[in-house]
Order: sequence, then C-alpha cells, then structure tokens
Amino acid sequence: MPVIWLCVIVLAISIVGFIFGRQRALSSAGGDARNLHSLPNYYGWNVFMKVVAPAFGLMIVWLIAQPLVVQNSISGMIPETEIKEGSSIGLVMAEVRRTADGLNNAVAAGVISQDLSNDPGADVEALTASLKEAGQVVTSTITQPILLAAQAYRTMTNTGSLILAALVLLVSLGAAGFAVRQADKDYKARNVVEQGVLALLMAAASVAILTTIGIVLSLVFNTAEFFRLYPAADFFTLLEWAPSFSGRGGASKLGILPLLWGTIYISIIALLVAVPIGLFAAVYLSEYATPRVRGIAKPLLEILAGIPTIVYGLFALLTIGPLLVSVFGEDGAGWMSGGRAVMTAGIAMGIMLIPFVSSLSDDIINAVPQAMRDGSYGLGATQSETIKQVILPAALPGIVGAILLAASRAIGETMIVVMGAGAAARLSLNPFEAMTTVTAKIVSQLTGDSDFASPEALVAFALGISLFVLTLGLNVFALYIVRKYREQYE
Amino acid sequence: MTDASLPTGGAKPQSGSLTTVDARTKKRNAAEKRFRAYGVAAISTGILFLIVLLFSIVTSGIGAFQQTFITVPVYLDEAKLDKKGNRNIDDIKKVSTFGYNPLIQKAVLKSVQDAGIETPLTKSKQMKALISASAAGQVRAAVIDNPALIGQTVEFKFLASSRVDGYLKDRVKREHLARDKNIDAEHLDIVDGLQDAGVLAKTFNPAFIFGADASESRAEQAGIGVAMLGSLFMMFVVLFLALPLGVAASIYLEEFAPKNRLTDLIEVNISNLAAVPSIVFGILGLAVFIQFMHLPQSAPLVGGLVLTLMTLPTIIISTRASLKSVPPSIRDAALGVGASKMQSVFHHVLPLAAPGILTGTIIGLAQALGETAPLLLIGMVGYIASNAPDGIASGLLDPNSAMPAQIYEWAKRADPAYYERAWGGIIILLVFLISMNTLAVILRRRFERRW
Amino acid sequence: MSVKLTASALAIAAVAATSAAARDQVQVAGSSTVLPYASIVAEAFGENFDFPTPVVESGGSSAGLKRFCQGVGTEHTDVANASRKIRDKEIKACAENGVTDIIEVRIGYDGIVFASQLNGPEYVAFTQSDIFNALAPKVMVDGKLVDNPHKKWSDFNADLPAEDILAFIPGTKHGTREVFEEKVVAAGCEATGAFEAMMAAGMSEDDAEDACLEVMSDGRAVDIDGDYTETLASIDANANGIGVFGLAFYENNTDKLKVATMAGVEPSTETISTGEYPVSRPLFFYVKKAHIGVIPGLKEYAEFFISDEIAGGDGPLAEYGLVSDPALVETQDAVAAEKTMGGDS
Repeated sequence: MPVIWLCVIVLAISIVGFIFGRQRALSSAGGDARNLHSLPNYYGWNVFMKVVAPAFGLMIVWLIAQPLVVQNSISGMIPETEIKEGSSIGLVMAEVRRTADGLNNAVAAGVISQDLSNDPGADVEALTASLKEAGQVVTSTITQPILLAAQAYRTMTNTGSLILAALVLLVSLGAAGFAVRQADKDYKARNVVEQGVLALLMAAASVAILTTIGIVLSLVFNTAEFFRLYPAADFFTLLEWAPSFSGRGGASKLGILPLLWGTIYISIIALLVAVPIGLFAAVYLSEYATPRVRGIAKPLLEILAGIPTIVYGLFALLTIGPLLVSVFGEDGAGWMSGGRAVMTAGIAMGIMLIPFVSSLSDDIINAVPQAMRDGSYGLGATQSETIKQVILPAALPGIVGAILLAASRAIGETMIVVMGAGAAARLSLNPFEAMTTVTAKIVSQLTGDSDFASPEALVAFALGISLFVLTLGLNVFALYIVRKYREQYE
Repeated sequence: MTDASLPTGGAKPQSGSLTTVDARTKKRNAAEKRFRAYGVAAISTGILFLIVLLFSIVTSGIGAFQQTFITVPVYLDEAKLDKKGNRNIDDIKKVSTFGYNPLIQKAVLKSVQDAGIETPLTKSKQMKALISASAAGQVRAAVIDNPALIGQTVEFKFLASSRVDGYLKDRVKREHLARDKNIDAEHLDIVDGLQDAGVLAKTFNPAFIFGADASESRAEQAGIGVAMLGSLFMMFVVLFLALPLGVAASIYLEEFAPKNRLTDLIEVNISNLAAVPSIVFGILGLAVFIQFMHLPQSAPLVGGLVLTLMTLPTIIISTRASLKSVPPSIRDAALGVGASKMQSVFHHVLPLAAPGILTGTIIGLAQALGETAPLLLIGMVGYIASNAPDGIASGLLDPNSAMPAQIYEWAKRADPAYYERAWGGIIILLVFLISMNTLAVILRRRFERRW
Repeated sequence: MSVKLTASALAIAAVAATSAAARDQVQVAGSSTVLPYASIVAEAFGENFDFPTPVVESGGSSAGLKRFCQGVGTEHTDVANASRKIRDKEIKACAENGVTDIIEVRIGYDGIVFASQLNGPEYVAFTQSDIFNALAPKVMVDGKLVDNPHKKWSDFNADLPAEDILAFIPGTKHGTREVFEEKVVAAGCEATGAFEAMMAAGMSEDDAEDACLEVMSDGRAVDIDGDYTETLASIDANANGIGVFGLAFYENNTDKLKVATMAGVEPSTETISTGEYPVSRPLFFYVKKAHIGVIPGLKEYAEFFISDEIAGGDGPLAEYGLVSDPALVETQDAVAAEKTMGGDS
C-alpha cells in the first residue's frame, strides 16, 4: 500500500476522532459547554493530535529504519566474488536496489509477470533484456547472486511495508480509542493541546538548526578533501589568491585573506551608503511625513529591494563605474584606473540595501510608544531633539538588528560584486581599486571549468565553511550586544 | 534629554520679550529644519535611484514586447512532404524541419517578387536570413496536425529573424553590415520593400510574455511565460512553507522560549542563516533534496524548498520584530480576563502583529522571487524552460526555470537581441514585484497602528 | 496550521516516494561554452522527434562532470557538456560511483579571438609575442630578461597603437583561460626567447613553463569570471581595452567589436578548421552508456547532435560559430556503435 494512502487513512481516522471526542466531551457535560474544563473544540483537537502524532512518528521512524535493516541483511547475501576490482559493496548494493526497483516497475507496467519476477531460477540474461526494454536502469547484465539479492530485497521491502501499514492502522485506531475515552468534562484538554502546539512551534524553530546542520554536512566532506590536498595553514595565512588552471601542477596560491578583506571593505562601503540614507528615510517617514507621503514613498523605496541583483550588477558596471571614473579617474583625481572597483560595487549594493534599513527601522521607530514622544514634547524639546535623544536610543537595539540584517545581505551578495568589483583578489586600502569577495569566488570556483576533484574547485567549500564560521561568530557577538542593551517599553 | 530641555546657562531668568525668538531657539529651529531636510534628502536620493533604475530598465526593455512578423503564403509541396502520397502520419513525420526550409524560402522569395521589389538576391536560399529558424518547425507542426494541408497553399505568419527585427528596432544599423555575416544590405532593402507592401510588420508580441524559452540562434522566438510559471510554483511552495514555519518559529522564540542554551543556539542560527550566501543554500539543496531525498532535478519544488530555507530567516527576523512591537499590556489584558498564554498569543498578539509579518513576508518573497544563485546549483539555469507544464504536479516536478534565472541566462547569450529580452524580462518581473508590494501596502494601510 | 504543516510534509514525502522513477526527458548539464550549441540541438530535437525537449543546464564543465559522475540512475544527469577533455582523476571518481562506461563525443572546435571596441584604437593585428610582451611579468628587452617595462602597446611594437595596455582575459575558472595561457602566452614566451632565457637563468624546465604562463596582476590584465557579455560590457566601458571572446560571440556582436588577426591569420570557421588560426580548442560532450535505452531519446539525441544536418559544415551549429570537426564521420560511427572511452565497447 503506498504511503500516501496510509496517510490519508490516518488523517481520516483522526478527523472522525475529532468529531467523536468533541461530542463525547459535550455529552459528558450534559450538552452545556459551560460545564467543560476547556472549549469543546479542544477535546476534538486532543484526539486529532494523539492520533496523528504517534502514527506519523512511527511511519517516519519505520521508513528511515527499514532500508537500513534491509540493506544490512541483504549485503550479507552478496558473495565476495561479486565485488569486482575497483568496485565496492556500496556499488553492488546500488545495483541490487536498481534491479529491485526495476523489477517492481516492470511488474507494475505489466512487462513481466509477478511470478517471473519472483522466480529465483529465472534466466538472468532474458530478464536483463526485458528490464532494459521496460526502460529500467540496469548498468550491466544482472548476475545470479544480484538477482537473488534483489528478489530478497523486494520480499523484505514488501513485507516491511505490509507490517508498517498494519502497525500504523493499529496504533492510530488504538490512540483514537484512548483519546476519545479521555474526553470528559473534567479533562484538561486545553492544556494538553497547548503542550502539543508548543511542541510544534518548537519544531518549527528548530528547522533553523536542521538547516545549519544540513549546510555544515553538505560542506564539510568536501572541505576535508580540500585540506587533504592543500595545506590549511596556507589557506588561512597566505596573503595571495592566485589559482592557476588545474591543468598545471600545484602552483595555485589560495589564501582566503584577500577575499575576506574585499568582502569586508565592500560591505562597509555599502553600509556607509545604505545606513545614513535608510535611517534618515525611516525617521522622516515615521515622524515627519504625512500619511499620504508615507503611503507613497515607503512602497516606492521597497521596490529597490525587489529589483533583481543582476540589474544592480549591470547598473554598477555600466552607469556607476564610468561615472566614478570620470570623477576619480585619470582625468579627475587620478585614483581610479578602471570602472570596476570596491566603490562601484559598494555603492550599487548600498542602493539595494536602503529599503532593508529603512523599512525595518521604520517599523521599529513606529513601535516606540507615543507616550515617550509626548513626554519629550511636553518638556519643550523640538521634534528633531525628541528623535535624536528619545526615539532613536529607544529604538536602537531594533535598528542595530536591521543594520545587521543589511550587513548580512551585503556579505552574502554575489552578483553585484562579480559585475561591479571585478574578479581580482587584492589586499589594498584604495577603495577605487578592483577587489573581490568570498561569495564571488565561491560561485566562480563552483561553476568553473576546472577539474572538480582539484583543490581549485574544492576550495569553494572551504570558503563557504569559513564564511559560515565567520558570520556565526559575528552573530554571536551581535546577539550579545543586542541582548545587553535591549529595553522594552510600555 | 536633560540638556535639550534645560537652559544651559543655569537658572538665570530669561531677559527680553517672550515673543521675540532668542538666538538659542533660532539655532534649535534651524537644527530642526536641517534634520528635516536630511530626511527629505534621504528619501529623494532613494527615489532618485529608483527612477534612474526604472528608466534605464524600461528604455532598454520595452522593445522586447514588439516583434517583427512576415506573412507569407506557403505552397506545401506534396512531392517534398509526403513522397508516397498516402498521408500516412508516420511517413510525414520522417520529413524533418530541414526538409521544410526550402519550401519556406521559396515562398518568401515569391512574396518578394510579387511585391515588385528589385533585388540582386534571386536564389531562394538567400532568403534564409530574413526568416526565423522557427518557421520550419511551425509549418511542420501545422502539417502533422492536419495532413490534409499538404498540396495546398496556406498562409503563415512567421517570425522575422532577429537581425531583421533589430533593423526595425534600430539595433542593427546599415553602417555595420559590412562586418555582419548574418545579413547583408540587400536583405535590408528587401525588408524595406516588404514593409511598404504590408507583408512585414512590427506588432505586439504576446509570445514574449506567454511563450517558452528558445535556443541561442532564435532570439526572436524566446518568451518568459514558462519561466514565469516556474517562478509561480516556486512562490507557492515558499508561501505555503515559509510563512507558517516562520510565524511558528517566531512565536515560539518571542513568546514561549525559555532563556536557555537551546534558545540561544536557535537564535544565533537564525541570524547566521540570514547571512549565509545564497549560493550555499544551493549547495545544501543539491546535497539534501536532490542527492539524499531523490527529488527531481531542475524542479520548481526543489527550487521552492531551497528558497524557503533561504527566506525563512528574513521572515522570522521581521515577524519577531513585529511581535515585539505589540505592547505587553495587550498580553496582560488577555491573561487578566482568563485567556491562556497560547490564547493570548493566537487571539490577540498575532492579529495585531499581522501587518508587520506581512511586510516581512513580502520582503522575503521578493528576495526569493529575484534570487538566481542557488538555482544555479539545482539545475534551473540553462536551456530549460522549453516545455510548458500541464497541471499542478507537472508544474512542481517537471524541469523548469524561474524568471530571474531566465533573465540571467538571456543576459549571458551572445545575440544582442537577447539583451533586449533580458531587460524586457526584468520589466515583467518588476510588474510582479510592484503588484505584490501594492497588495501589501493596501493590507498594511488597513491594519497599521501606532501604540 | 498543524494540518497545513502535516499536509505539506506529506506531499513532499509522497512526491519523494514516487518521483524517482519517472523521468522522460534527457538531462544535460555542463559547460556554458557548449550550452549554446546544445540548446540549438535540443530545440531542433524537440521539434523533430516525439521525445520531449531535452533539458540543458549550464554551470560549468566542472559542475557538469561532477554531477555526471555522481552515479547511475534516473536522478543523475545523462550527458555532461565540457569545454575540455575529461581528466583521469575525474574518470576515476566516476568509476568509484559506478559510472564506468562513458562515451566521449567531440562536437567540433571553438575559436578564441581577440577583439576591441569598434571605434576604439586600431588593434587589428597581434602576434602571440605581442600579448606576451604586454602581459607577462618578465619579458625580453634587448636580449635580457627584465621586469616588464612596457606601459603602452607601442613600447614594444611600433605597429600597435600608443595606448595603455589593458586586456580583459578569462578568469582562472574558465577553460578558455587554459587555452589563452597555452596557445598565446606560452607561445609568445617561446617566440620571444624568454623561455630560453629563463632556462639559461637556471630555472628547471617545469618552473620555466609555469613562469611562462603567468600574467601580471597590476591591473593591466583584468580577469573576467563572468561570461563574454561581461567582457563586452568591460570593453564598452574602456575604449583602450582588448578582450578575449569566443568566435561565435564575436560574430553575433560585429556591430560593437572588431577582431584582430593572430599571427596574421583572420579568425573564421575556415581558418580554424584548417588549423591556420592558432587559438582554438575542442568541445566535448560525454554520454552515460548505462542510460542509453533507459532514458527515452538519449541515443537519438547524441546521434542527432553530430548528424551532418546539425554539426556539418552548413548546419545550424556551424552557422552559429562552431567550427565543425573534420573527423565528424568517425565520431558518428563511434556514437552509433556506443563506443566507450578506454577502447573496448
């Protein structure tokens, strides 16, 4: 029985349980909801929850455990001779799985009969041919042991699914009966349901942790491989980034420091553009602007956040760059030699970040209680004095949060850097020189043409994990600051 | 605050009239005006940037909405298309698009001669440069659809080639022709003549908005419609997953979470995830959803899941900010009349925080809608959006691209006609973003309040 | 809300359970240089066959081969496009994941040209030595190996314009860079005698070869990690710059760019196919043999790609700028026989 149907049945049971639970509670209170401990629906939800949670829990555990168990017992069946040179037990198991899936699909499509698929003495070559005919992936001709293993695999999987279905139905029915019996006017259904909801909320919050674990796992193996090929000390201390094309020995110099410097420099310039403009805009919008102006200006600014970053990249390259060159280039101040520079990317990125700062700060400034403004005005302060000395300090933790969010975007931004700041890694203080960032290099090394097993390609993962650790450190620090100075007003 | 409201000179009684403005008040009023001016300047700068950006986008992209078409009667020669003459569909299918090209070129040449245009180009093969390579596919599809057409003369409306289209849009100029091996000056003379004869015309091109992507050599045929559907399905996934997950997580962290290590860990994680470069989410998506969970490649479902994880921190951070802004008195009042903590949150705090949550969600969705980098790694960038999905399951699972990925792809292609289409695509993307924003503004205006 | 969550989780689980088996279109990934050609073929393939149009992803040869080598089965790609030959290490990595039978298909050659702004300085003729003299950190001046003193092109070749040296060259992630280094810079290194001078100065042969490939990092050689459109935009913004482009890209943008000859030869599909024009490289795609017969249309796609109608001298690929392979017939036979790498089928 497909899993989806099992799910539907469990859901149906739980819905029926909901109705019964609610009714039973109501009737125990003599039909008068006022005599119940909780509102009637809570009794229904109580049943629903108690059916769904164990049933799906069991299902998930089973579905994860079953392949492992089956795999273990099957791999014992495969003789040593089947594992060819240069191959491994994992590969043979993959072949077994593919054969089993192929048999299943072929039977489902009616190409071979159920009996033939289960026949251990079946002619393997004919079977291979008919599987291939049925459009199933089979790498080579199936051998006798693999066929046997695949058949055992199928039997075990099928039996497993049957047992699972039976167990789940049993559990959900049992749980339904148990929970419906609980429904009584004195039963504290609300408290139980709220516990359940709380658990759900907590689960949602831990998605963040799961994501982090996922990211670390997907980066860490390749990073380890990179450090096996390239000395970690060089990676962290070398002041030069010069990957050679992988065809050419180990001449690459892969130091992260110039990239980190570029990242930080560009982000700082972006924030220098975005924070004053965004903050003043937010203050004006929330304190001075008439509702009409506010209603027009705020959404207009927010459009800036929605313009795809590639447009900013093009804008930086084609408009900001030449503009800067005409002012600071050879004809002007003489500091700038080409259109691509830290400044070019920084300004474009700053424009993009304006709404991040302004919209969020605006919401936070709005949240400062009116009473504080009134108090300040009452003492004779002008509006700007009130803003500078009452409202901004009160909103500061929130504003810092908004700026950090903007900084995060700046650090993680790729497209603008690639187009505006160039691809040259350099340690320099001159903001009119081309530099590059960690993210830009992650993209370019990952999407390049170099050998994928070479340090030049794998370095992307090491860069990713370094950036990850770095931002993690920054965030721990920021959280500490915000928490220390956080205030709540009433 | 104190130094603002107390005279700095100590308790000296003020001399002079109360109605004349003294120097210090003047200074303070000037500071006030300055401060206001800063605000106005900041907003004007922001809006100026917006106007400059929008102006350059619209002027570069508006041309993509028009396309040049040539209307030509084509004689569908039985000797070429159905040699056996039995109208057997399998035999007709054996004639590939390459077999149709000569018929079309002949038909174009005939139209040119009928229009009385004098030209040194007298071979039908020389007409190839005028017509899009898609013409043969168009005729072949019509013939296979209705084999009875064979032997008749049927009128078709073909796309002109991207160079001809570029000539009508002033992109291809005569002075550069000597170096262009795709088209000659004689061809442009024909184009002028055909335009006078009314055979060739530039009209609005709905296929750009609703059509599918085309290959590098057929810029004139490419449309963004299929990628738009891809984006739409991805946004559905993001909305249905990120909004409930984000709100639930924020409620937990803001209202229920005990102050302990686990909570700290979650908080740091969330703010850190907001800073993780989007391409890393692509790596995660490739490893987890495609290689571990075996979801199909290039599918909007996977794209949606990746973007969900990516936008989640943004939504959580702004949702928490707006939950925080609901004053404690609301909670206390609810608790005071006997509501449980859970009820006070779901019945009172959450509805009051909804406008802020909405703002955050929209910023998050906008970010997701415009994101390209993670899609690069899960196979949604390239020549992908060529088959329109049929139905919801196919929309979620069949390979597709997304609007920003399509734009990125077009911007990379060699034919300058694609450059125009990339900007045209940006216009469409912006129309979506602006309508989303407008919706948010309307909702927010109805519910926004100050405490 | 709980209902919504469960429902969506269920939907994902259900999808995950059913999707793995169903895929009916060919999946291609890899080099963005091959992508234009692959997309032209895929489009024509979709028009002419009853199979669905193949999906062609970009992302670079490295990522394409990596995914190609990840295993056998419908969740993995069928074809990898590459702008270079697959490397031994990659073949090994493939084998470790069970991808043993790989069919290599060479589709033709890609010409690499030097071009500059149409109305810019007269960069019309270069030799490898010019490029080397302009960009290498150490060059030969008056028979001695010295730090590069050249600021303007005319400093070392009076025929070139007196403009500041500025070149937009492919970044190290690009396969094009390898060709640029080996066929232009290294050739220039040998032609000017710098290579011998380095050897004479006591460098080992390997070190001298490596040193020959270096370009200066003081801003005169700008790495472009993006695509040719980015190089074009850079050229647009810098009138005195020269850029490295693919032949196909140049031919589509003749209204903005003018091309320079290399060692006296004008780049064109003809001069490249005869080998007169020195800077070119082969393009490949790799087919997973285990998927033939399983993924509908895979073999047909491979055969269609290299058929005379498509990849031949006047097919759409050549028209777009691919230099067709003189040995196309052999490739066709090899694909028809499903001949895998390493000889025995």
